Amino acid sequence: MEANDLEPALEIAGMSKSFGHTQALDSVNLHVSKGEIRALLGANGSGKSTLIKILSGFHRPDDWQLARVAGQNIDFDSPKFAERLGIRFVHQDLGLIDSCSVLDNIEFVDGFPCRFGTIRGSESRRKAKVALGLVGLEIDVTTLVRELTASQKTGVAVARALFGGTEGVHLLVFDEPTATLPAAEVEHLLEMVRSVSRQGVAVLYVTHRLEEVFGFAKAATVLRNGREIITTPLETLTRHDLFNYLVGRDFDDSQSKSEPLSDTSPVLEVDGLSTQQLHEVRLSVQSGEVVGISGVTGSGREELLPAIFGVISRKGSVRIGGELIPSMRPNFSVRNGAGFVSADRKGSGGMMNLSIRENFSITGLREFWRWPKIRKRAEAKAASEWLGRLQALDPTNTEGTLATLSGGNQQKVILAKWLRMAPKVLMLDEPTQGVDVGAKAEIHREILATAEGGAAVLVSSIDIDELVRLCHRVIVLRNGRIASDLRDADLTATNVSRETLLSESVMDVPAESIPA
Amino acid sequence: MKLTRGLGLDRFSGLYLLLIFIVVFTVWQPHLFPTVSTADTVLSGQAVSAMIAMAVLVPLIAGEYDLSVGATANLSAVVALDLQTVYHWAVIPAIVVALLSGVLVGIVNGFIVVRLRVSSFIATLGVGSLIAAAQTVISGNNEPLPEISNAWLNFTQTTIAGFQIAIIYVIALAVFLWWLLEHTPVGRYLHAVGGNSEAARLSGVSVDRWVWTSLIMSATISGAAGIIYGSLIGPSLTFGPGLLLPAFAAVFLGSTQLKPGRFNVWGTVLAIYVLATGVQGFEYVTSAQWLSSLFNGVALIGAVSFAVWRQRKMSQSKHEIIYQTEPPSSSSASSSDSIAPEQG
Repeated sequence: MEANDLEPALEIAGMSKSFGHTQALDSVNLHVSKGEIRALLGANGSGKSTLIKILSGFHRPDDWQLARVAGQNIDFDSPKFAERLGIRFVHQDLGLIDSCSVLDNIEFVDGFPCRFGTIRGSESRRKAKVALGLVGLEIDVTTLVRELTASQKTGVAVARALFGGTEGVHLLVFDEPTATLPAAEVEHLLEMVRSVSRQGVAVLYVTHRLEEVFGFAKAATVLRNGREIITTPLETLTRHDLFNYLVGRDFDDSQSKSEPLSDTSPVLEVDGLSTQQLHEVRLSVQSGEVVGISGVTGSGREELLPAIFGVISRKGSVRIGGELIPSMRPNFSVRNGAGFVSADRKGSGGMMNLSIRENFSITGLREFWRWPKIRKRAEAKAASEWLGRLQALDPTNTEGTLATLSGGNQQKVILAKWLRMAPKVLMLDEPTQGVDVGAKAEIHREILATAEGGAAVLVSSIDIDELVRLCHRVIVLRNGRIASDLRDADLTATNVSRETLLSESVMDVPAESIPA
Repeated sequence: MKLTRGLGLDRFSGLYLLLIFIVVFTVWQPHLFPTVSTADTVLSGQAVSAMIAMAVLVPLIAGEYDLSVGATANLSAVVALDLQTVYHWAVIPAIVVALLSGVLVGIVNGFIVVRLRVSSFIATLGVGSLIAAAQTVISGNNEPLPEISNAWLNFTQTTIAGFQIAIIYVIALAVFLWWLLEHTPVGRYLHAVGGNSEAARLSGVSVDRWVWTSLIMSATISGAAGIIYGSLIGPSLTFGPGLLLPAFAAVFLGSTQLKPGRFNVWGTVLAIYVLATGVQGFEYVTSAQWLSSLFNGVALIGAVSFAVWRQRKMSQSKHEIIYQTEPPSSSSASSSDSIAPEQG
């Protein structure tokens, strides 16, 4: 395979793609050789997902000078070009069926070897074992997928992608495979990826965890704002250099924050909070304060707000205004003045088939209830007023179903249902995800207004710029613990990014001394 | 699409169909069809079916199935009759105890669904089977004797202007449920739980409590329906299970009417009576026994496929909205907000 090393597997030059006014990719180049592991890095919105979606045929590029896989031109208009050209994907959501065996999961994709309509057991087991062998995974093929460890599951997904051998497979794309993997299992996964690349398959490896690419990928390509910033060998690079390429110098680190708060008593007190991801988290938030939560996927960021609100089971104590809130009783939290906007808007944020008015008022109907009926006109009027205040598209439309609104307007409805309750504690998980720029600004304005009205606000977001602009302080989670609590002069986008993305705390350490 | 919306051909299609039936059969059978006795046969003949359909409706709104309604109705009918004929109870106490047997079934259903976390489909299927067993034990598998006291018969068979009073109970129940489900917080919570139980839970709605309540309500209404059957038609050990599927059919058919896409009381009642009117009319014209089954089947599949087709048309436009806002993580303001919301 050594001889193949410099043969190109993927060649892309001058590729551009825009959505509306947003330039998602701007003349990007990417060359990956056979058998090479290439890290593709970039912050959120840097364009790496767009690039992957182009390779998988989900988006069509606007313009390109060169796009070839193993010397063959990519025809973006032909369906299934990715499969035909030997590009395979392992997505973060592996798409395995937990209740089926490893064997079944592998062979659902390419079909079972059959004779007279009956599955040939021994033949299908043999083929599955070969596929697992390619990733160096030694497990019984009849094991159910739900009994596997997280890294083994990823391995099965890789084996499935390579089913039928590596012949004809030229590029394997990994989209954040370690995001939800426990730290101890990352090395297993990396070893599997290496084993695949040794067969001559080029690997494009997307990750948010910077530390794992060192000693693993040969080179890294860094994207920022849709541009290719640099492609560089990793051997000579320090973490700090890589980080600077990633976030650039275009942060506005100036202080734009409202004045620090005078000391008031805490409204929300959390102590010893533990969940699957979180360990003994202690936290208190004052009235009028906006606190940001940052952390990479798997750091515990996704679990913190649901755990406090009582949506997922937890250990430890949560107090709102001194009142102890039991776990797994969201109605109790609501009654004590808490509100929660879930990150999963479709799954648990709104009731898509009910009207905007009904979604708006569900948090408390007492206000509209006068014997013998709910006063729908008052309800619609209140909904309209709030939607007008949030500058929703059409505040007079209160009777359409939530499903008919755009994402930004749906989010405004969900936000309005809490804002009208004047919550003591408002928790927002990814409040502006999938929301356009205009709506984002209005949502931010309302969050600040709510805090000024005396609420304690927590905002969890992967968008670090958003946190820095919005929050009085930002808590960074790492491995389920609070790694740092940045406020006042320390609260800059650079600091938050560094604390979030690097594995060890580098605060108070001069940049030059960071080990490679 | 414009025409169907303007005349309400989609959401009022049941009413139009009802009018067509009445006109066609009046012309076709001018001596038999347009009479008070026909109206009474259709209305009170469907009283029990309409009540069972309304029973099924309540938990369906909350996203749960109650498949034990038929068995519950049968049980309460047997209890009411046996208490009077075998134990010589008076009418009122017998009715109260029969109704309580329905409430008890609802409590058990709710316990299994909410506390034991068994899906309502399975829980109520199993409970329905247990009720059938309990009924056999209680009655000794002997069909109860017909009770002939005036108080018991007059309870449903008193006629007012040619109509049996049973129909008044149906109307009263429909009005009550319409008020409860559409105009009170209870109804709103049930709709919220059925719409997205996780979102409802995060909004502070006690999902478990409302699921349990809805199952108690459906079983209680079924119990009442059973008592009315016993008084109106007479004793039977086997009438219950046959009511189950037509009830679901009516509720699903009803969800395409008046408030499309939403389970609703008047749509359900309308569905029951449109079908009954059609069947009654055909019975005057021909004596073919299979006609009513054919008619019910065609109406159900026809109406629901029309509703699905309509919903798919709507979700296609919804898909465009999602598609336009999704791709970039920070899409421009113009692209997402320029799409006018489509109103149902």
